[in-house]
Amino acid sequence: MLRELTIYLRPYVQSPLMLLGFVAAFAGMSGIYLLGQTFWEMSAKTSWRVFYGILAALLLLAAILYGYRRRTLQQRWGSSQTWLQCHIYGGGIFLLLVLMHSGFRVPSGIITWSLWALSIWMGASGLLGTLLQKWLPKILASGLSIEVIYERIPELIGDIRQKSEVLVRGCEAPLSDFYRRNIATALQGPQPRLIYFFDITGGIQTRMRQFNYLHSLLDDRGKTQLALLTEYYKTKLEIDAHYTLQRALRCWLFLHAPLSLAMIILLIFHLYSIFWY
Amino acid sequence: MKNPIAENKPGPNENAAASTHWVRVQQHRDRWSNYQGNESILRFSGKLSVKQLKSLPLFQNYPDEFLEEISPDISIAQWRGGAVLFEEGSYVDLMFYVIRGNLKASLLKTRENGDGANRPIFATRLGKAPAQDQPLVMDQTVFQQKISALEAAPEIAALSTVAFNLQAGETFQLKNGDIFGEIGALNGWPQSVTVQAETDSLLCQIRLPALRKMKQQSTQFKEKSDAIYRERFLAAQLRATPLLQDCDETLINQLKDRAELISLSPGKTLVTEGEAVDAFYLLRSGNLQVSQTIGSSMATVNYLSKGMTIGEVELLLEGMENWLWTITSVAYSELIKISRKDFSELMIQSPQVERRLWADAVRRIKESGYSRKHLDQSELIQFSLRKGLVEGNSILLIDLETCVRCDDCVRGCAATHNGRPRFVREGEKFGNFLIARSCYHCEDPVCLIGCPTGAIRRANVGDVVEVNEQLCIGCSNCANKCPYDAIVMHETDSRWPENALPEHLRGRERKVASKCDLCYTSNEGPACVNNCPQGSAIRINNITEFQNLLGRD
Repeated sequence: MLRELTIYLRPYVQSPLMLLGFVAAFAGMSGIYLLGQTFWEMSAKTSWRVFYGILAALLLLAAILYGYRRRTLQQRWGSSQTWLQCHIYGGGIFLLLVLMHSGFRVPSGIITWSLWALSIWMGASGLLGTLLQKWLPKILASGLSIEVIYERIPELIGDIRQKSEVLVRGCEAPLSDFYRRNIATALQGPQPRLIYFFDITGGIQTRMRQFNYLHSLLDDRGKTQLALLTEYYKTKLEIDAHYTLQRALRCWLFLHAPLSLAMIILLIFHLYSIFWY
Repeated sequence: MKNPIAENKPGPNENAAASTHWVRVQQHRDRWSNYQGNESILRFSGKLSVKQLKSLPLFQNYPDEFLEEISPDISIAQWRGGAVLFEEGSYVDLMFYVIRGNLKASLLKTRENGDGANRPIFATRLGKAPAQDQPLVMDQTVFQQKISALEAAPEIAALSTVAFNLQAGETFQLKNGDIFGEIGALNGWPQSVTVQAETDSLLCQIRLPALRKMKQQSTQFKEKSDAIYRERFLAAQLRATPLLQDCDETLINQLKDRAELISLSPGKTLVTEGEAVDAFYLLRSGNLQVSQTIGSSMATVNYLSKGMTIGEVELLLEGMENWLWTITSVAYSELIKISRKDFSELMIQSPQVERRLWADAVRRIKESGYSRKHLDQSELIQFSLRKGLVEGNSILLIDLETCVRCDDCVRGCAATHNGRPRFVREGEKFGNFLIARSCYHCEDPVCLIGCPTGAIRRANVGDVVEVNEQLCIGCSNCANKCPYDAIVMHETDSRWPENALPEHLRGRERKVASKCDLCYTSNEGPACVNNCPQGSAIRINNITEFQNLLGRD
């Protein structure tokens, strides 16, 4: 049964076993909580609630360790893929445990409230990241003919600009004017556009309309030059698409990772206040 | 034998010609320094003159200019008695010619005791033998697994490399005038036996570039090496071919004596579509492109690799007089040719062979038919042949549909190699996969050819090709030779010392060739794969695995 289920899930998720484990843990935790709600007295100080809190704290530490694994590239700790899967599913369980720990209520204290709110934020931003990481690579792979390294984008655009300038220097009036008015600005640097999230070609056909019109006005030499210029421009648009989406994949991390440090500090305060009082 | 290096060193006041000669001698020493460093070599020659080469029977029939051209790749070494020259399973890019001495070829590691069978694939192999008995090149244990895998694959009838017709524990004596190692060197195969010097032995060592030139230049040499191959290898190979299993000895020996050995250089056509079928072929090594006319042009419908057969369809189907395909070599390829008449006799004498060939023929027709109908399959084969993927033993692919462009693969690689990544996350795209610019660890690595110091070589594990940075003089030969742009020259922020050899390097900025080594010294495997959080970095060993990834299996 488990084997069949794993085979069935394999095309959809990276690690079917971890997903099944997550579902089982989620269901188990929820079941225990519901039983507790029904049969046992629940308060922030009951041993069950403390138990949820301890488990959540441990999971938080484990989830943060993934960041350490990535940054330090500790290969002996196992593959990065396994760590990421544990991070994602562990993060889900962590959020459930935080909610169970707080009794599904908004805490009133400033530290506990901040910790609770940050946990929700981390969960939500993590989910957003997971979705972006599934969605954006598929868009990038779907309609672009080139693959670029993010850090090299300014250099690549610089190359295109240089080649275009050299080309245009040898061009006559209609083409050189067209370049100055319509293309030169675009080649100054990467131009992120929201449209790439929905249409990876960025409406390239519409943009080509002017090129097509100009084509009909040029002689053979001009047509050859325009064809080259068109190729450069299309490449630049593809680089822009890469820039937009790859930047989103990188910027998302700033919503998620740095706050983990704040969570650790708040957790220490939280534990300190519990033991002190 | 006296060492010319010691004798030829000029004094400080000697003339410029002597100085130039001294530089050449030193360059020659650099070329062979990895072999010289072996503690089992008692003495090692400098660059041999044409006269010295002509004194050896092996070189007597070659013109002087030719010998001058190949001389940098030839040396003479005196090996200590008891030294192991190489072990079975190791890759050696040398042919040895016995000038004087006694050596024995044997299967040291018997298959029964399974020595090494459980060693991890990615592990260092140092410290195995006492220093004085260190082999020139150590063995690799993945070989047997690889052969087993080939034999298990239904579409490949692997020609096993069990050579010298030896059984475990048996030995074969090598004496003055014998040559050995050439089959492995020419075909890029791992050595099939262990060779050990019984007495102090004087050997002429010929590197692969010279060996290939010699074979092309001299029909006599080709005939001699073919005769040796026929004598030592062919019967065993034929016997071990799944196609000819269970055939009686008479039949094998008959085939061994009658078969013709064919060598093809890249681009050479073996058979042409529409021409009369004259023979049946077994591919010993290399890769062949199978093309067929589709519409008004030729399309690649299949490719053939080591162990596969050619001609069974045409020879088995009645009324089929002409070749259905054009078959062209895409690398250096070696084949066994069995004439139509001998093939017919084989069919009569061995019905089981006929049955197997029918199965092969049906599969071949199905595959080609599939490629004709599914042009994406044909496109993949064509792409793989054009880009050399069929040559590769480990190709790094990146699944662009899941890759989040985090660059952890590159960072992981850099962290494993002193801060310098050994591949570039750029390259050609096929489907949703990026073929990263990373070493393919080719079956026939052309980057090895012409390295003046032997710095780039097969490592001790599997098919890994590595660069020994200590020996690399940064000449860029390998980087220029690599057809896949997978070797990068990088600066080391240091300069060659004033006593560096060759002299022209002195005071210059030191550069080193850098390439993927599959992280073979790490137990965790390739860092690029291990550090990819999305599992998008994938290593494939052959095109079938690529087809599977693309969902076209």
